[in-house]
Amino acid sequence: MLSAYFIHLLILIGIYLILGLSLQLAVGFSGILNLGHIAFFGLGAYTSALLAIVGWPFLLCFLAGGLVAMGSGFVLSFLTHRIKGDYLALVTMGFCFVIYSLMLNLDSLTRGPLGLPGIPRPEILGFGFDNNFSYLLLVTVIVLATYFLIKRITDSPFGKLLEAVRDNELATKILGKDTFKVKSFSFALSAFFAGLAGSLYAHYITFIDPSSFSLMQIIPVISIVIVGGLASLEGTVVATFVLLLIPEALRFVGFPSSILGPMRQIIYALFLLLILVFRPKGFWGRIELE
Amino acid sequence: MVELGRMFYQILVNGLIAGAIYALVAAGFSLIYSTVKFVHFAHGGVIALSAYMLYLFFSLWGLNFWLAVFLAILSGPVFGVLIDTLIYRPLRRRRASPTIILVASVAVLLILESLNLIFFGADVKSINFFTLGKGLSFGPVIITSLQIFIVLTSLALLALLFVFMKYSKIGKAMRAVADNKDVAEIVGISAERVYTWSFALGSLIAGVAAVLISLEQNIEPTMGTSLMIKGFTASIIGGVESVAGGVLGAFLLGLAENIGIWWLPSSYKDAIAFVILFVFLLFRPEGILGAKKSNK
Repeated sequence: MLSAYFIHLLILIGIYLILGLSLQLAVGFSGILNLGHIAFFGLGAYTSALLAIVGWPFLLCFLAGGLVAMGSGFVLSFLTHRIKGDYLALVTMGFCFVIYSLMLNLDSLTRGPLGLPGIPRPEILGFGFDNNFSYLLLVTVIVLATYFLIKRITDSPFGKLLEAVRDNELATKILGKDTFKVKSFSFALSAFFAGLAGSLYAHYITFIDPSSFSLMQIIPVISIVIVGGLASLEGTVVATFVLLLIPEALRFVGFPSSILGPMRQIIYALFLLLILVFRPKGFWGRIELE
Repeated sequence: MVELGRMFYQILVNGLIAGAIYALVAAGFSLIYSTVKFVHFAHGGVIALSAYMLYLFFSLWGLNFWLAVFLAILSGPVFGVLIDTLIYRPLRRRRASPTIILVASVAVLLILESLNLIFFGADVKSINFFTLGKGLSFGPVIITSLQIFIVLTSLALLALLFVFMKYSKIGKAMRAVADNKDVAEIVGISAERVYTWSFALGSLIAGVAAVLISLEQNIEPTMGTSLMIKGFTASIIGGVESVAGGVLGAFLLGLAENIGIWWLPSSYKDAIAFVILFVFLLFRPEGILGAKKSNK
């Protein structure tokens, strides 16, 4: 039997897998350097949590979380379709910051910094996912569905079209493709999965507050994407496990938890820097970031 | 109606004070950007770290206040040049794109913030050197002597920077590299050395900004991100490659925020900045003063 701690870790890895794979779809396969992915994660979490608190069934909350994220992803892609590179990265960071400020300030809806407690654990067709082992199974199913769906998309002719837009947008336009439509579909779908991950996170922890969705939370996710290697789903999976397991070693060294959190962030950031300097393609990447 | 007029002038003055601080953040940032041509997002982290250095030297170690201020200001260029040498230079050497360096600089900012958390804890700190004097009344507005000091210091420093950039040899070399790196190198200016100078000078201004901010406000581990958003927004409003534009943008931003929180809760300040940033990046990425087309 798996220990409780290990199950907890695997659930978090599952949630980060969905985040990493969905960001890989945008960054690696479509060339959209989105540094505001956490906004979609947060939108999914808050949407799902608020609906669950007023009594909606889990599956609807879960889907609504994804759809709200997807809608805002579509709007953002519409607004930003003409900018690229570092400007795009900054605008998406800005988007994340605005969403974070809304969570913090729309007191009547989100309870601001106090957060939302008492988010119910999921129940599907009368089966409650109250213990963590069953929750792990739920997360696993959704991770697998995400993986195979994104794999299917990226292997399909449409996926090749995405990569063509990434590599040479002008040439793809000349071939008569609507590159804006292609990119916004990818962006919206990426946001949809991040929203689902947010819902899973909210219903697992059963409490959310804005601090989980601040700008800097992007670093572990973007590290996963870049360390694993752009446009490589396998790399993303391996990197998620490696990056999330390595800092756990610190726990056994016996650091107090107030130091553990920032130490973990430093490790993610250092990994990212080392990869950017020494191995810009990541471990399994097929292309380099711009 | 009289009340409304008084509010208006007070908002104007509050905007000016906020703008004076943002102007220092933006000036340092723009100075660096103008030569190296990438977004040094960790600039805000350098400011936060320098503020903590003041707390360390003055409040924890009990050094003489002015010595502590001197050391805190100096720690700005030390950290700035260190970051450039350790992180950005290797990336430049392998010809990394500005986008990659931006991602790296966000990672650096996170490291700096985490270090603040580890060494100084999550609670806010304050440097109570100047006890809060009573506000002085100038007609309808109230302003503290510390705030006057902040505005004057900021303006004096910006004037000095202007003179330095215009007349000193290093300033001229920096402008040459900003304008055209290749030509500057042909006439014998070392771009790498100019980059180091930019980081030193930009971060020195950051050090001064850090001291002024910590005299007026609390010091928090994540203050760097929020300051960076302000400084960066100011630069984009004014034109990212122009230090003068950054200063103009900073005062406009200070005003916009203070007008904004007339209606909105004050914690929306950062969001106001980002909405303005958004609008400028989308519709006028070259800023008010920027002439070059930088919409890549």
